[in-house]
Amino acid sequence: MWKKALSAALFASGLAVSSAAFAEAPAPYQITPELEAAAKAEGKVVFYTATDVAVAEKLAEQFKTKYPGIDVQVERAGSERVFQRIGQEYSTGIYNADVIETSDAVHFEYFKRQGWLTPMVPQEVADKWPADERDPDGNFAAYRAHLSVLAYRSDLMKEEEAPKTWEDLLDPRFKDKMVKAHPGYSGTVMTSTFVLSQLLGWEYFEKLGKQNIMQVQSSTEPPKKLAQGERALEVDGNEYNVFRLIDEGKPIKIIYPDEGTPLAVGNAAVLKQAPHPNAAKLFYAYLFSLDAQQLNSDFGGLRSFHPDVKEKEGRTPLSKIKILHSDPAKLEPEIQTIKSNYEKYFGT
Amino acid sequence: MTSIAQVQGRRSGIDLSWPTFALLSLILSVLVLLPLFWLAFYSFRSDTGGGATLDNFIALVADPTLLRAYGLAIAMALGVGLLSCVVATPMAWLVARTDLPGRRIIRMLVTASFVTPPFLGAIAYEILAAPNSGLVNIIYRSVFRLDSSQYLVNIYTFGGLIFAIACFTFPYVFTLVANALDKVPSDLEDASSILGGKSMTTLRKVTIPLVLPAMLAGTLIAILQALTMFGSPAILALPAGFHVITTKIWSLFQFPPRLGLAAAAALPLLIITIILLRAQKSILGRKGYTVLGGKSGTPRVTELGRWKWAAILFVFSILSLTILLPYLAILKTAFTGTVGDPINLSTLTLSHWRFVLFEFSATQLALRNTFLLGFLTATAVTAIALIVSYLVTRRSVPGSRFLGVLATAPVAIPGIVLGVGLFLSYANPTFQLYGTIWILLIAFMTIELPAGYQQMSSAFSGVHPELEEAGRIMGASRLRTLWDITAPLLRTSVVAAWCFVFVGTIRELSATILLTTANTKLVSVIIYDLNESGDLGAICVLGIILLAASFAVVFVANRVPVLGGSQMNARG
Amino acid sequence: MAFLELDGLTKSYGSLTVVKGVNLSVDQGKLVCLLGPSGCGKTTTLRLIAGFAPANGGEIRVGGKVVSSSRGTVPPEARNMSMIFQSYALWPHMTVFENVAYGLKLRRMPQSQVTELVRTILTATQLIQLADRYPGELSGGQQQRVSLARALVIKPEILLLDEPLSNLDANLREEMRFEIRRLHDEFRYTTVYVTHDQAEAMTTADIIVVMNDGRIEQSGSPEDIYERPATEFVARFIGGTNILSGTRNDKESVLCQSGLVLRCGNGTADGTTKTAVSIRHHDIELSTKPNGANTNTTIGTVTRQIYLGSHRDYLVSIAGGEMVRTVAPVNVAIPVGQEVWLHFPPEKCRALAQ
Repeated sequence: MWKKALSAALFASGLAVSSAAFAEAPAPYQITPELEAAAKAEGKVVFYTATDVAVAEKLAEQFKTKYPGIDVQVERAGSERVFQRIGQEYSTGIYNADVIETSDAVHFEYFKRQGWLTPMVPQEVADKWPADERDPDGNFAAYRAHLSVLAYRSDLMKEEEAPKTWEDLLDPRFKDKMVKAHPGYSGTVMTSTFVLSQLLGWEYFEKLGKQNIMQVQSSTEPPKKLAQGERALEVDGNEYNVFRLIDEGKPIKIIYPDEGTPLAVGNAAVLKQAPHPNAAKLFYAYLFSLDAQQLNSDFGGLRSFHPDVKEKEGRTPLSKIKILHSDPAKLEPEIQTIKSNYEKYFGT
Repeated sequence: MTSIAQVQGRRSGIDLSWPTFALLSLILSVLVLLPLFWLAFYSFRSDTGGGATLDNFIALVADPTLLRAYGLAIAMALGVGLLSCVVATPMAWLVARTDLPGRRIIRMLVTASFVTPPFLGAIAYEILAAPNSGLVNIIYRSVFRLDSSQYLVNIYTFGGLIFAIACFTFPYVFTLVANALDKVPSDLEDASSILGGKSMTTLRKVTIPLVLPAMLAGTLIAILQALTMFGSPAILALPAGFHVITTKIWSLFQFPPRLGLAAAAALPLLIITIILLRAQKSILGRKGYTVLGGKSGTPRVTELGRWKWAAILFVFSILSLTILLPYLAILKTAFTGTVGDPINLSTLTLSHWRFVLFEFSATQLALRNTFLLGFLTATAVTAIALIVSYLVTRRSVPGSRFLGVLATAPVAIPGIVLGVGLFLSYANPTFQLYGTIWILLIAFMTIELPAGYQQMSSAFSGVHPELEEAGRIMGASRLRTLWDITAPLLRTSVVAAWCFVFVGTIRELSATILLTTANTKLVSVIIYDLNESGDLGAICVLGIILLAASFAVVFVANRVPVLGGSQMNARG
Repeated sequence: MAFLELDGLTKSYGSLTVVKGVNLSVDQGKLVCLLGPSGCGKTTTLRLIAGFAPANGGEIRVGGKVVSSSRGTVPPEARNMSMIFQSYALWPHMTVFENVAYGLKLRRMPQSQVTELVRTILTATQLIQLADRYPGELSGGQQQRVSLARALVIKPEILLLDEPLSNLDANLREEMRFEIRRLHDEFRYTTVYVTHDQAEAMTTADIIVVMNDGRIEQSGSPEDIYERPATEFVARFIGGTNILSGTRNDKESVLCQSGLVLRCGNGTADGTTKTAVSIRHHDIELSTKPNGANTNTTIGTVTRQIYLGSHRDYLVSIAGGEMVRTVAPVNVAIPVGQEVWLHFPPEKCRALAQ
């Protein structure tokens, strides 16, 4: 009992010593009738995800239509909550999840080191994904990407009054107007806080903290606060949520600031202890299929690394946006500093 | 001379009280002491390398963010206590001692508001009083034709938080004071009048001092509730940009978790709670105030006369703020597109209902888990509380008072602290409890035990011990007596305690939030998760389902003839 | 051998010893009254017999078998006793019939037999019309009878009564005393009856046991106890009496503090030096003239006189400041302050060794 409790604590002590197995990525696989039959026999797949719940449920719906007889249990929470939960479960020997997906790239480095993932490469990923958007050992691949964007209510703020740059946000006229998600909760915001603190320095956040910003948790939430009209301007938030709200007809406009827009990559992987290994394999391959990726783009507003995905009219293509990339390996040691600085400047 | 054993063998009367006592001691110790042990253990454990350390306690006094969280939490709790007391006391007086119309309904409404989970109330107030999208502010702006930067109220403030919590804590003060006023014998007041005291003097010098202990005790409970509450601050304080201690402890679980610091940060909360409870007990236990149970005549009723309308207005505005408006806001949000939409035919929609009932895969599981756990917890807690309070009030086993202490102890353990303790205790493969509903059952049983025990033991002291002794001497064993005689006499109290625990369980969030996994989702947790992603419509639908189901269960429990017994006439 | 035996029975709560080595034997079929002021340990003794509390020392034997000792206690339900409580302890959720039938059902008796026995006892206690009522719907006296019926129906080896009449009003109480005695004569259960009311004890008991401060002061038939109290306490507690303390004079007389010498017809003046004399109020002869006796007589002054309908109650002060209470017929009306002569018939004076 003691040993096990301590192993739980080992998880607690953060990113502990690595014991990774570096192997060659396994050979790509395709969805075969045998795989489909085996998956059907298992009857169910459990998907831990940080994607917006409506998008994830829609995806599950489409999967169920395509492969009837396999139920999808969607467990949606913020990236850090998903991570915390899988950590608690694995350190106590509970294996509920089959496929996992979060928007914090650091997590997958950690899972990989812990040896919690099953390497597998769907044919589609092998054929079409850029090399730096998948794990060289085949443990995970970039299922989705999205930007963390500035956006505003076009009915509450005129276009010429809207900010153009990150620095603009420090203007007194935006005081009381902004909403922002939390890096302790959202992987997307953790990433964006990291890149912006490198780009603009912590003094920037210190000043931003004085703007009386409404603090929410998940990066899905600021766009919803815009939609409600609770605030006129979001400092960060998922681009895909904003796309969906614009599609619903909400008067919201996105700003891609001159300094650049932070990109969050959402990896997906199959867990080693997946209770439904075949269904997991099938679902994992399905996640990277053109169907699923196109759905993510159309309905979910997510960016895809699948080259054949057609972006909707009116959306600024990635190529036209200045992207701020982050390196998970550099972010990882900074997490505690980011959190404590953030609490210092924003109060929570 | 024959031996004892032979004599005992005459009839089947083997006394089970010792084994029962031993078993209960074991169960209660595991429920209460184990999490506290791990809490203490982890508080001395380093988060970074393992090994014993005092760093966590040093951080407790050195870390300004923790100190600030504690300071704000205490200030908030005091504010809630004060506000609850100021609002509830006059209201209790109006209901208990004046000719205000509709007194019974007012009492019922206030009692019913116990059922509302505080986190749902907080969300309702987000809908009502968020500075820009809040319905109140929208109406305010449109009535006075103000621009979008103007607002009347802002719930995302320290004051807003106090207000939103007080809405759900004032019933504690109200109930205690109203009951005390019911019991203040009117001859005490008559005595003052006969000595020449005018009615205001009598009120000031006799009535108020007599109910003062109830007022203080109720206020302390309100303070305690506020201090240990997680849901409302998580919903309202975080957007306002500050932590209270419960949310701060919760944030320590974010990656990378700092369990040792969380455990150490939880300990002062435990100590403050114990101090407050002791204070409350000593206030209520003072001599002279305990004679409140006198039977001398009906309470005197003050005629309001021309003040009647002012009183009605006062009570109505309190009820509107605490019950009517939040419920209306929840109803409106459940049936319209987004919060800010006006209500008309084009905005009415069932889309949130469709989403919750048919598209959102967690709903069914969560509803099933919630009601299963509510049922199991209520049943287990009532049973344990029944036996423990029997052993304690009848002092049939030496040392049984220890059981009473154990059963009351969890009241001093805030939910979030218990959550931490239970996670540390059961998140290991020996028990395999984390990730099952059993860990939640343990948590809920621990949390609800004090309430159940309190209700049962006061019910027990109302049953004359001779009624049980009569059963024993007629030849019934201790358990048989408990079953045949005591239990039926306690039936109404048992049903009441059961309902109380059931309602308490399905609205629990603060311990639950740390202990659920995918397969053990509860409605309260999905409400919290949905709030994090801003899905207010879905939350309101779930809230309505939760409330409707709670009321239904309580209603049914009180109507089933087997449980509710009508021929009771406890004159004995 | 007696049926119920208490042998050196001791019970203490913490440092407080409430029953201090009580010895008592009760023959089968007898009704014993434990009589004493509140706090004398009588109720505790009863509860020890019932098995509600364990004994700290000594033994209780029923029919020769030990049921309580410091080594263990047979639980109440295994003693085949029954008890009538001060509060009656009727179960408010059961009808009269159910209350009475409960003990029989516990004994796994067939339903038909239960019904028959219950009907018999309800008839004997005149409750048969009330069988379907709930206790809350009965008067105090009816409740008392239900309580009796419930206790009697199981045919206990020993019946225990704890101040059973103290909650009744005066008239009913007197009636119930005779009822209890009648039922005892009818059923002849070995009975232990606790009361603080001497009249109740006198009416009902075969044997009265006077208890004081955890000990038995005296036990005997009602006549014994009244006529021949062994101690000052018993004399005072049972019926009104005057106690005149003094010292031993010779073998048959006592020199009282007032200087009065009382020849005592019974009791023993054989105490070492200090002795007391007990004489009942109504045994003292009061007259306004010298009564011609030269012993056992003294002169005194009336200090109080009360008219009580059937008689007058006098308080007379005698030499040495001692007060003597006595009664006289209504027609003997002596005003306060007048001198009177008192005569203490020697055969009524009882010397009490201290």
